[in-house]
Amino acid sequence: MTTQGIKPLESSVKESSQDCTSHLDGVLRLIYESIAGLNVQLPEEQRIRKSLSTVLFGAGGTLDSLGLANFIVILEQKLEESYGFRVDLTEDDPFSPTTGHFRTVHSLATYVSELAARRPGGAL
Amino acid sequence: MARTGLKLHLISDFNLETLGHYLVNSEMGPQLSVSAAPFGQVFPALLQPQHVEGTDFALVWTSPQKIVPGFTDALNHVAVSDERLLAEVHQFADCLRESYKHFRAVFVVTWTLPLHQRGDGILNLKGQGLRKRLLKMNLELAEQLQDCAGIYLLDGQRWMEMVGKSAYSPKLWYLTKTPFHADVFRYAAADVKAAISAVLGASRKLVVVDLDNTLWGGVVGDLGWQNLRLGGHDYLGEAYLDFQRALKSLRNRGILLAIASKNEESVALEALAKHPEMLLRVEDFAAHRINWNDKAANVADLVAELNLGLQSVVFIDDSPVERARVREALPEVYVPEWPDDRTLFASQLLEMDCFDSAYATAEDGSRHQSYAAEKQRELSRKQIGSADEWLRSLGTEITIQESDEADRVRVVQLMNKTNQMNLSTRRVSEPELQAWLQHNNRKLWAFRVKDKFGDSGLTGILSLEVQSGSAQITDFVLSCRVMGRNVEHAMVAFAARYCQELGLTDLRADYLPTAKNKPCLKFWMSSGFLFDERQNRFTWPLSMPYPLPEGIKMHRPPARAGASPLSPRGTLRDSEDASLSVFTD
Repeated sequence: MTTQGIKPLESSVKESSQDCTSHLDGVLRLIYESIAGLNVQLPEEQRIRKSLSTVLFGAGGTLDSLGLANFIVILEQKLEESYGFRVDLTEDDPFSPTTGHFRTVHSLATYVSELAARRPGGAL
Repeated sequence: MARTGLKLHLISDFNLETLGHYLVNSEMGPQLSVSAAPFGQVFPALLQPQHVEGTDFALVWTSPQKIVPGFTDALNHVAVSDERLLAEVHQFADCLRESYKHFRAVFVVTWTLPLHQRGDGILNLKGQGLRKRLLKMNLELAEQLQDCAGIYLLDGQRWMEMVGKSAYSPKLWYLTKTPFHADVFRYAAADVKAAISAVLGASRKLVVVDLDNTLWGGVVGDLGWQNLRLGGHDYLGEAYLDFQRALKSLRNRGILLAIASKNEESVALEALAKHPEMLLRVEDFAAHRINWNDKAANVADLVAELNLGLQSVVFIDDSPVERARVREALPEVYVPEWPDDRTLFASQLLEMDCFDSAYATAEDGSRHQSYAAEKQRELSRKQIGSADEWLRSLGTEITIQESDEADRVRVVQLMNKTNQMNLSTRRVSEPELQAWLQHNNRKLWAFRVKDKFGDSGLTGILSLEVQSGSAQITDFVLSCRVMGRNVEHAMVAFAARYCQELGLTDLRADYLPTAKNKPCLKFWMSSGFLFDERQNRFTWPLSMPYPLPEGIKMHRPPARAGASPLSPRGTLRDSEDASLSVFTD
């Protein structure tokens, strides 16, 4: 399955800042799709809002550790389906309060982009 | 994990919380409250379940290597005998049977291996190949539980295959002790809910199907039956034929078929009769409405003719306009979205879970014949004109037998499936009914009905409880297939005579209203019993004889071995029942 309308990540990071914005938009879109996938199993009042400022995990966050683990697996799958290679979002302990990658939607999108930059050739 | 409605208890050796979320939060199917035993303690949870009073169902989902320790050896290619593996399967089956005492039904998920587990490669299904052994273990478990009617095996392998290679998630396992991707639990939750609906008797019983571009390709009124796309060396013709094949297999399972089509009736019927590749002929359909009327009105009309409730119906039509119309006018009818791609028609139908039934009985397979007989009956009613004369002409014979193990499956099925003519809508499992009958002031009879047009089989149930000189009818259940033929009155007459001979003073029936059992109220209002509206209670003073309807013969065969010899006061033995004045032989 490919996510329509998303520019390939590898080409995006090599291009202009406008392309970087479009690349971030693509990552955000996959994050929102993953949120939608997870929301199906949550009661209506606990469903996660699709917004950059949404707190995902940690104090005030919606997800418990099981929810976060499910979310990570769904997002990893979507990233692989969209970009054609695996991304390990658990390289750092996702439950650790010090890493904070999964604190908000914004921090998660930044983290995924950083992982992209660390790939050989400047991509994931 | 909580919500309202029915209660389900999860027992597993891994983390099933995600499944619980899907079960509780999915809007589809029955609403559930879910509890879970601490994971990893399967055997204690089965043998001595804690805090499960009032819990309806249990779901048991385990890993093969945890329950069958010998299978760990097999996984590690350490020598282990088949005998040891199967002995460990037997122990598990014994525990499942024990757990069934606490629940109305127990669902057990079959064992699976992750798709990435290659096992023994090309030797997987040879000798002591890993997958062959797992198949044997699953088959042995199924065989061991075969006779336990309230334990059902759910096919876990299907869920894995639906999700594909990502079904098993090592990451989720290491992070949370959950072995499967959330999508596996999504499919599992749907199947568990379908299983619960099946046990509750909520399965659909009738498929109403359109003709043009649904049962065949093309518009018969424009093309003529000779030019329809059906069968032949044509990919779409084959797809339509496969769809008919899928419908026919449903029919053979006891699901009724009917037609609602906007067409000239004679033209459509000619196509059904003459097209050489037509698999479904007019006699395969319990009823049809082929005219230019509103489809929703036609569906409602068909349902009335077949004596079913709208909640029993599935409507299939290629036209989104007709689907929207029926969905809007008859919200209880299930109208699935139907694919535009005609090659998907058969698979779409075969995938539907709303026909799942918890029981398979001889009557299921012959249901169509029964409805064909009903058509003949209706025809004779119109010809004769007078209702009384028609009823007398049917030559109805009712055979009454105290229920025993031989008919218990059918009795429980009828109790759990019947909505309309059902006094108390009591839903029970076999063990629950067995336990209820253990008290010697209770009796339950099964009524088999036939007439000159056909044998409807076991279609009625009446149970009584006697207390302080009065008898209370607990269950009064009659299949819609025989409603309106005075069988209801005959059943009451039997109960009244039975109670009179015991010297009881009155016979009572408490009506418990549901959304669907108004026909039952209507019958009791016409029964002649005194009605206390405050308590919804009908009473017959047994000082008066209750009239047996004219033209009905009642028989009672000798009691089968195993039938309860108990009578309300211990004064009337089964053998003496045959002398009751209602019997004609």
